[in-house]
Amino acid sequence: MAQLPLALTLADHASLATFVAGDNEAAVQHVRAVAGGAGETLWLWGAGGCGKSHLLQAACRVATAEGLRAMYVALGSAQPELLAGLESLDLLALDDIDTVAGQANWETPLFGILNEFLARRGGLLLAAAVSPAAAGFELADLRSRAAGAVTYRLKALGDRERALAVRLHAEARGLELDPAAADYLLRRVDRDMRALTAWLDRLDRDSLVEQRRLTIPFIRERLTGGSSE
Amino acid sequence: MAENSAAYSSLWIQCARSLEAELSEQQFNTWIRPLQLVADGAVVKLLAPNRFVVDWVRSHCLEQIRAWWTRHSESGAEIVVEVGSRPVARRDMPTREPEARAVAAPAPASASALGGRLNPAFTFESFVEGKSNQLARAAAVQVAQNPGSAYNPLFIYGGVGLGKTHLMHAVGNLIQARDRGAKVAYVHSERFVSDMVFGLRHNTIAEFKRAYRSLDALLIDDIQFFARKDRSQEEFFHTFNALLEGQRQIVLTCDRYPKEVAGLEERLKSRFGWGLTVAIEPPELETSVAILMSKAAAEGDALPEEVAFFIAQRIRSNIRELEGALRRVLANARFTGRAITLEFAKEALRDVLALQDKLVTIENIQKTVAEYFKIRVADLLSKRRSRSIARPRQIAMALAKELTTHSLPEIGDAFGGRDHTTVLHGCRRVKALRETDTRVAEDYNNVLRTLTA
Repeated sequence: MAQLPLALTLADHASLATFVAGDNEAAVQHVRAVAGGAGETLWLWGAGGCGKSHLLQAACRVATAEGLRAMYVALGSAQPELLAGLESLDLLALDDIDTVAGQANWETPLFGILNEFLARRGGLLLAAAVSPAAAGFELADLRSRAAGAVTYRLKALGDRERALAVRLHAEARGLELDPAAADYLLRRVDRDMRALTAWLDRLDRDSLVEQRRLTIPFIRERLTGGSSE
Repeated sequence: MAENSAAYSSLWIQCARSLEAELSEQQFNTWIRPLQLVADGAVVKLLAPNRFVVDWVRSHCLEQIRAWWTRHSESGAEIVVEVGSRPVARRDMPTREPEARAVAAPAPASASALGGRLNPAFTFESFVEGKSNQLARAAAVQVAQNPGSAYNPLFIYGGVGLGKTHLMHAVGNLIQARDRGAKVAYVHSERFVSDMVFGLRHNTIAEFKRAYRSLDALLIDDIQFFARKDRSQEEFFHTFNALLEGQRQIVLTCDRYPKEVAGLEERLKSRFGWGLTVAIEPPELETSVAILMSKAAAEGDALPEEVAFFIAQRIRSNIRELEGALRRVLANARFTGRAITLEFAKEALRDVLALQDKLVTIENIQKTVAEYFKIRVADLLSKRRSRSIARPRQIAMALAKELTTHSLPEIGDAFGGRDHTTVLHGCRRVKALRETDTRVAEDYNNVLRTLTA
């Protein structure tokens, strides 16, 4: 008998507790400091799935807990008007900033925001696939201010760290995933953490619906195309 | 009332949690997280940072919020969403009361009459003097000590990230230190333009004019932003005249010499030259080192001189970038509890420097471009002018201009001894093509990414 999964799944919200830092310890610590009110601008960059969005959203969560006003914006799916008035926030996290570089209707408000945050030392977290110099800003002033951010390149996790990350994410969802099953999953899905957590979501839902434990045969069935619907 | 507020705040936290369970994480963090609750009698206000957020919340979850509230609170308070922020004790002084901002619902928060506020950290004491900025600093001190009479306007120009804004704030800070009552405003040109547009749209232009014209000193940053904004130039022209006639001080900065700003009215350019025009040049190595040491000291950290030399040598582009690298080293030291040594700095800046190393050589650019277009480096340097060679060559030149600090003649030399005008033409051609030809734009960006990723 199928069971409605919604009420029973535990939410795995982006938090610093489930973020495995690996080689990115300094970046994570710095993000934590900014989320706690250290007024600085950080530029985090790296390939997709290395944890940028997770870090940014986790930082917003920390800021809220500290009583600060925070907001996360994924620029790739937003409109420039959304930036109006955001100068007053304590922490602003702008994701995918490189996807709007080179567009005048974005660059002018972005420049205003960088200027304001620098002037009053607000917390600004910027994330991109590339470094500030390679983002392709047309506005020289914006380029220069972005280059003045403290930049961190986020590195992908090693195998052992990915295993730890999967365990933490599974725990956050209330999933029981034994080491052998975790290892099986890790070896077979894409290396980036986004793909991994998406699979965890799906396995979580499917195992609830079908009332099955997360065994290797069950995972294999899913990975080889068994539909969950 | 205070009790009410506390109870409401804790209710709001629970309500937000229930929304968090239903919205996607991204939606929650974008639309719900920035909301602030303010209890106002029988009305509970959820304050959003702008109109956009208000609209989203109203159309996607206001009903839900109200229903939740009815179930969990006995107060029967009405819930509304509007633009605003909770009044807070701020270091700086917004020219409009925060409450007033919350009431003026359609106003973006950036609409305060004068954006200007001075950064107290930017003083003459914290400005490191060197050959590159000596003259500008001396002129700025003169102006701050004799506002309205020494040099008016003072026009400071130079490349991005060299300290123009710092000097400007220093002038403002010193004027205010000598005369507490002096009305000084620092405004970025972009902000001047948007405030003016706001004034026109909301019929408050008279207030805008009055606010600017009653100043004792107006500091306007990056006036190249006025280019081609005729209505703003017109307004600024009148403001400028009014202030100058009243012997109020004006300080302007720009990224180039006034006469070279395209799209700026002649009458403005000529007026900008009435006072004193001074340049800030990129800092020489010793000044960069001194800047790093002074910034570190200001943060309470001791920076060994050899580390300062190392950073200054490797990061030559501008002071902002230099400071970014320094803050990275200081932060790493703080987080790891390790002492700042040369080895430590190299390690902390490894990825920043790898990037710099990759960025600086023309040879690397030529090699990457040649590989990308499947031609030989020798072709790039040859006299051949067929499209399949000339276009990649122009792209390589444009990249050399963008990513290295080499001059046009140096780039010309590195491309088989070409004239600097050829390089200039190539750069302009590529810039134009990137706007009109998506293939060129894509090629350019692909190579750029390879070089800098």
